[in-house]
Amino acid sequence: MNEKALNVRQICFLFAAILPVTRMLVYPATLSYRAKNDLVWAALISFAAEFAVIALLLLLAKKTDLTFFGLVQNTFGRVAARIACFVFSLYFFFSSLLPVLEQRGFILQVFYENVSSFLSFIPFVAVSLYASVKGLRSTGRVADLSLPIFAVCIPVLLLLALPEADFTALLPVGSTGAGNIFRSAAEGMNWFGGAAYMLFFLGNFRYEKKSAVKILSAYGIGAAIVLFFLALFYGIFSDIAILQQNALAHISKYATSFTSLGRIDLLFIFALSPVLLFALCLPLQLSTRCAAEALHVRPVFPAAAIHLLLLLFILFFNQSYLEIQTLMTQKLWYVFVVFALLLPALALVLRREKGAGAGGARLKNGRRL
Amino acid sequence: MEKKKEKRPLLSDAEKNIQSLKEILSAQDILVYRFETADKKLCAAVYADGITDKELLGELAARPLAQENAPKTRLEAEKLLLFPELKEADDAETAAFEILSGNPALLIDGIAGAIILGTKKVALRAVMEPQTAITVKGPREGFIEDVKTNMSLIRRRFKTPNLQFDMLTVGKQSGTAVCVAYLKGIADESLVKKVCARIQETAIDGVPDSSYIAQFLTDRPHSVFKQAGTTEKPDILCAKMLEGRIGILVDGSPIALTLPYMLAEDFQSAQDYFVSPVRATFSRILRLLAVLVAVFLPAMYVAAQLFRLQLLPFGLLMTISGGIRGIPLSPSLEMFFLLIVLEVLIEASIRMPKYVALALSVIGALVLGDTAVKAGLVSSPAIIIIALSGISAYTVPDLTGTISVVRMAYLVAAGSVGIYGVTLLTGLFAYYLVSSDSWGTPLLAPFSPLIKHDLRDSVYKADLFSLRQRPQVFSPKNRTRLRKKSAAQKEES
Repeated sequence: MNEKALNVRQICFLFAAILPVTRMLVYPATLSYRAKNDLVWAALISFAAEFAVIALLLLLAKKTDLTFFGLVQNTFGRVAARIACFVFSLYFFFSSLLPVLEQRGFILQVFYENVSSFLSFIPFVAVSLYASVKGLRSTGRVADLSLPIFAVCIPVLLLLALPEADFTALLPVGSTGAGNIFRSAAEGMNWFGGAAYMLFFLGNFRYEKKSAVKILSAYGIGAAIVLFFLALFYGIFSDIAILQQNALAHISKYATSFTSLGRIDLLFIFALSPVLLFALCLPLQLSTRCAAEALHVRPVFPAAAIHLLLLLFILFFNQSYLEIQTLMTQKLWYVFVVFALLLPALALVLRREKGAGAGGARLKNGRRL
Repeated sequence: MEKKKEKRPLLSDAEKNIQSLKEILSAQDILVYRFETADKKLCAAVYADGITDKELLGELAARPLAQENAPKTRLEAEKLLLFPELKEADDAETAAFEILSGNPALLIDGIAGAIILGTKKVALRAVMEPQTAITVKGPREGFIEDVKTNMSLIRRRFKTPNLQFDMLTVGKQSGTAVCVAYLKGIADESLVKKVCARIQETAIDGVPDSSYIAQFLTDRPHSVFKQAGTTEKPDILCAKMLEGRIGILVDGSPIALTLPYMLAEDFQSAQDYFVSPVRATFSRILRLLAVLVAVFLPAMYVAAQLFRLQLLPFGLLMTISGGIRGIPLSPSLEMFFLLIVLEVLIEASIRMPKYVALALSVIGALVLGDTAVKAGLVSSPAIIIIALSGISAYTVPDLTGTISVVRMAYLVAAGSVGIYGVTLLTGLFAYYLVSSDSWGTPLLAPFSPLIKHDLRDSVYKADLFSLRQRPQVFSPKNRTRLRKKSAAQKEES
């Protein structure tokens, strides 16, 4: 059996099936706010940038089996590596906040017709805490489980929505202006943590022949599905797209709500919801992992602290989704650009001697974190 | 710490040896059969009454000795005896253990030590088809409570020197024989060693059933999910051994354990291998859907009623709303109550005599169900849902216990947090199961981690010729289990 926590196939599934779901809730409406009918182009820019950074990181993975911690330690020393991990832990934590609140809206809209309760949202923290303690191996394995769910549910939802779409709504191309398209792409960077995830997958999977081609192809497939979804979304809702928060819940409703079968699309959305759950747990898992490496402790302690903070955050900002969204997308967008693209790309300049066993921090008992 | 007792040697004085043995075995069912050889030397067989074949003892041990002069050595004595199974014991403790196992100790004046005669005789039931694994096609033999018989059932199917039985004794008081069976060259021998070591570490008074051993062999004994496979049929055990697993037989238990275990194997039935692959695949998909129905249907019904009425088609919604009108209990309480009734009925019907169980099922299904609906205590849709869930659970008999608990957990989640609760619980179970393994084999293999080759015998059942290689998940040394005729002939030549 592979002794590394992840394998190439699982990373492929992660990019092809898990991450695309996170870009199907509020992201389409957010894009249509500024990019309007050019939302596909704005998303394409973000995808292209993330694709390029992931390609660079795969180049790095080909040349070294060191983890990010090991690379920084090699170049700047152990203290710097710990600081870098701590900073990334904060980034992952903050990048999880908007999707977590986003999830709340999705849950209230999709799962509850007549009841909305703050308490119903709390168990998520417990599940995420459990997932964070379990580590990267569990992340890879849930990716294996996610692909078949995604492969069945997404095509059904897209096919149900397809007859309602008017793709001419996307024309004329470029009518919003390049400035708005680029600004829109930058504001959506909160939903593009893929390169940062890849940075922390370094050293945790065995680079094999054609791994880069496989991972980048999987990323391409995931991106293509999201782009098609965005086109479909704008084709259906056009000018009122901005009001359609939680696109995934809405996109197929016209096709099914008046049929004798009822909202059968909801069944597929329900089936897809565990995949969304796995995607939401991912930044929190990585935040825990980074904090554990930075503080040199077992993951259970930072996991508890991080989830306690998350609980407090949900408690305070439970009703302030719009304010948080504005802060993250319109004011702090550059922070996400730096952490999601720039810093992972800069990892390429770190010293990368192929050191045996230098991959990551270890606990006193010799176990790798 | 308990001091290790010194062993008492058996000397050449038969009377003293009898006394030594009686000191250890003071129970009244330990009898001594004294007789003399032709030259008047004392001989004695010490045996446990009821588990020793006395006729055999008299015919094949006492008669030849009584007709001849006393032998001078143990070897001479053994030549006189006509037993195929003879052992020697130099000390009273070893002899006592054998006596308690049903093998008498033969003591001869003038010869040190004892000769152990293999005349064990235990009342056994016949080898018959197990109730929990009935098949329309395929072998019908089932294991019984005797480990030796069970070993013979396996040996009959493997005429190869590669079949190994490692015998262990577990239980300070019970001294239960545990047999670890595996195929050398196919099973992972380091795993066999680890399993044997774990079994030997077991410090317990008695082992009434193999489920005790199963608990010692699991890393998560409190888990609701099984971590060791079980079977009552030798053909299934042999098939699993051919895949690279190891079998564990426990004396006194008709249920054999198999390790490593994967959750997917409970969805496979012995019959799947005796019918067409298409039919087998269909059956497996049906079982999987039935388990999903058993687990999720009550929870989804409650969640849909409580939180998401839009999920139901209009016609069905009207029927259900007509059915639930005037029901005093909330949907979750109603379902919870019915589930408890179902579990009670199942518990009661398992333990009752057959003829009473029949009456019970009439009372349960007709009287309780019908009257409860008529009295307006529960709705008809709820009864249908519970009945469907209850029946569906029995499509995978090995998982019914797990399904009952998981179904209840989902009901609580759906009743309190709605469908989102179902999602969260699914996520929690997913993280739990993907991080669980059984002796190094992931519980959710071959789905997570995905092992493409092993998918051929998972939910999908490929034809026999596509199953040429053993499952990769066990990393067997010898991977090939089926060769094309020409290739096999070439190898032979």
